[in-house]
Amino acid sequence: MIWAKEETLPRAEIEKIQLERLKETVHYIYEKVEPYREKMDAAGVKPEDIQTLDDLKKLPFTYKADFRDHYPTGLFAVDKKELVRFHASSGTTGKPTVVGYTRKDLDTWLNNVARIACMGGATPDDIAQNAFGYGTFTGALGLQGGLEKIGAAVIPMSSGNTKKQIMFMQDVGTTLLIATPSYALHLGEEIRARGLDPEKDLHVHIGLFGGEGMTEPMRDEMHKVWGENFLCTQNYGMSELCGPGVAGECEQLCGMHINEDWFIPEIIDPKTEEVLPPGEKGELVVTCLGKEALPLVRYRTGDLTRLFYEPCKCGRTTVRMENLSGRADDMLVIRGVNVFPTQIEEVMLQIPEIGPHYEIVVERKNRLDVMTITVELVDDRLLDSYSKLSELEQRIKKGLKAQLGLATQIKLVAPHSLKRFEGKAKRVTDLRKDGL
Amino acid sequence: MIRQVSVFVENKPGSLMDVTSRLTEAGVNIRAVATFDTPEFGILRMVVDKPDEAKEYLTKLGYVVRIHEVMGVALEDKKGNLNQMLAILAKGELNINYIYSFIIRDGKEPVMVFNTDDFAKAEKVLKEAEVKIVEEADL
Repeated sequence: MIWAKEETLPRAEIEKIQLERLKETVHYIYEKVEPYREKMDAAGVKPEDIQTLDDLKKLPFTYKADFRDHYPTGLFAVDKKELVRFHASSGTTGKPTVVGYTRKDLDTWLNNVARIACMGGATPDDIAQNAFGYGTFTGALGLQGGLEKIGAAVIPMSSGNTKKQIMFMQDVGTTLLIATPSYALHLGEEIRARGLDPEKDLHVHIGLFGGEGMTEPMRDEMHKVWGENFLCTQNYGMSELCGPGVAGECEQLCGMHINEDWFIPEIIDPKTEEVLPPGEKGELVVTCLGKEALPLVRYRTGDLTRLFYEPCKCGRTTVRMENLSGRADDMLVIRGVNVFPTQIEEVMLQIPEIGPHYEIVVERKNRLDVMTITVELVDDRLLDSYSKLSELEQRIKKGLKAQLGLATQIKLVAPHSLKRFEGKAKRVTDLRKDGL
Repeated sequence: MIRQVSVFVENKPGSLMDVTSRLTEAGVNIRAVATFDTPEFGILRMVVDKPDEAKEYLTKLGYVVRIHEVMGVALEDKKGNLNQMLAILAKGELNINYIYSFIIRDGKEPVMVFNTDDFAKAEKVLKEAEVKIVEEADL
């Protein structure tokens, strides 16, 4: 099922819509959002200079750091009374990245999610179990709204509580699972460990996965666990752009279709910042079109990918982005949560008993991400008793939990036992091979 | 009162030996030693003949070292003596955080007690090295 006719327009028509909306957007931000106006003035570009899609590259980039610099709502283009929703995701440091929606934004967003849900095989008959964590995270409420638009029934289960997840699947007859791919694998294995065969004993036959990338080896595992006929697709988004609904895979599994009438993608070389030709790998830069509350122009996503413009066998003509192949920065995705090493550093610097050096190791144990942070003990007073040392450990964990919203493992080591770096430190080791 | 030297050590092969070999270099004599098992790290507690020199030397090498006082009680090698002392402390509602014994004892060979995950293997390697393993009955 194709949700919107805009997904199948000839390229010339897609581009016509894009250009029209781009011109409007550029005038809008120049008029309404001071930081944009300042940036454009500094770059010597006026809204009238944008006459073709190619002119997009004249505009300055927007960075995640801009959200921090204009925290919480300095990039918003409307008054707070026009907003109907806030969401938030992690920032690069202690303050979250806050995003907002007007009623029209919410409607556009959820329609875009409806499109990607249809790409992934959802129908009005589906019973969708939503195992994304509810809260300020855009994933859970975004998918819920999109599926409700289609007419599917949503179970707002939230993440975790495996036993209850399985009970609802059995008793209510869930047909569609929304989760991070790693949690879906974990859940599937737990189901098998209880002696159930998902293919025979359950009705779940569609997986809509997001929050973190799904590699092809993970998809293979997914079929082993959930059955050969399980249709599992992934979708892409980030809260700054709207949340989920930016792009999604169709049943052809040949990349994620970008909702191009609302988002203009570019691929740039993250170092030279030059726009690269179609098919080349680089950093994805996205310009949002028609957004009222939080317009975003040339946003540096940090995600590395490629774009393919050939029409798809599914009938959609929208550009497809390849599975993400990494990050241009040092952001980590842990259990679907974005984590920046700078956030961890900020917590560490507030604890005087430990040194400023740290190491982060990320592994996947039993399909779930485990992050271990190694820090050096420097205060000898803690050696009076074990309870003082474990109190320190708990204090670090609590600080990180408050900052990241994630549980972490802490390892205390002797001073000078962590590697010292000249120049750029390599503090993060990611052992999750192919996401498995 | 007795001054005790505590050193932060990681729970990994060789970490205790690192400390003892450093103290040997510094000419410090270890009279008693104790650690307790935790998964990640430990506190090595020692009574040595020159605590200040031990701390200075180890700190210079980057160890986290603490000197603090503990109480020493002389026990005759008689049945029930330890129990008697503990009973006195218990009656006084005193909590004992840790207790360990000296390994250097006049007239008798010192006894070192340790815990490991693989006793069978430990016994094998010790026997191969012709180290005398002391059984409970030998004490």
